[in-house]
Amino acid sequence: MAKPDLLESPGTKLSESFDLPWMVVVHNDPVNLMSYVSMVFRRVFGWSRERSEQHMMEVHTKGRSVVWSGGREKAELYVQQLHAFLLLATLEKPPH
Amino acid sequence: MNFEISKRGNPLFSRIHPFLAEMIKGVAEDPWEEYPEGSSRLLPPPGTDEELLTDWADHVQPDLHRRFDEDRSQVAQDIGTMRSGRGKSPVWLLEIPIAHVDAWLTTLNALRLAIVTEHGFGEQELAHKTSPDLSTFHGIALLKVNFYAFLQECLIQGLESRESESCNQDSD
Repeated sequence: MAKPDLLESPGTKLSESFDLPWMVVVHNDPVNLMSYVSMVFRRVFGWSRERSEQHMMEVHTKGRSVVWSGGREKAELYVQQLHAFLLLATLEKPPH
Repeated sequence: MNFEISKRGNPLFSRIHPFLAEMIKGVAEDPWEEYPEGSSRLLPPPGTDEELLTDWADHVQPDLHRRFDEDRSQVAQDIGTMRSGRGKSPVWLLEIPIAHVDAWLTTLNALRLAIVTEHGFGEQELAHKTSPDLSTFHGIALLKVNFYAFLQECLIQGLESRESESCNQDSD
């Protein structure tokens, strides 16, 4: 199973680094086409076709996939972009 | 109905039956008006954090709503260019400028999501495991969801064929 990316920016703000990481989670939705979800992942994250399809299949078979984790501000931006493509995405804190 | 990429590099639907042409005209309908309950799916909550929910409702969701409306307006303009042949049983032709494909994909997706949520379709029905009863509004709605999915698949295929062409050209 593919593991989520981690934000590795050396320029991460101090305030942001305290609450790392937030997870961007995409949830299964029987309406969105598999080809569409894969295309959206390629667009939003700039992934290869293979990696996009891995995450798309994870959403399809397991009901959800963590597609990114890192600072809150950037995570919010990704959720917003995924919502713009009408994917069911949420921002979550990993369980302690 | 046929699908191909036109000489200008645009997705092109041709020989569209008048019944399907009417369904294509329906793509531009406003999901917030037509499917008031189903359209709730178009602006989902981003999580459970209270502060985030408030921020989302105040800033993000109005912006997304506006963008969906702009996309739908673009689609409506394209539908306005759809033309029919003459004769006893005219068929229709629709060429979608490649730059408008994203607007079509979003608009088709929004409409499908709103219809599915409004009618409460389950996975079984969506997976074509049951035949729609076309004597009911419910059945017609399922037909629309499936037809719009077909249009989406064609457009994605069109985009991907362009991408692979562009990759081939880059590697030449």
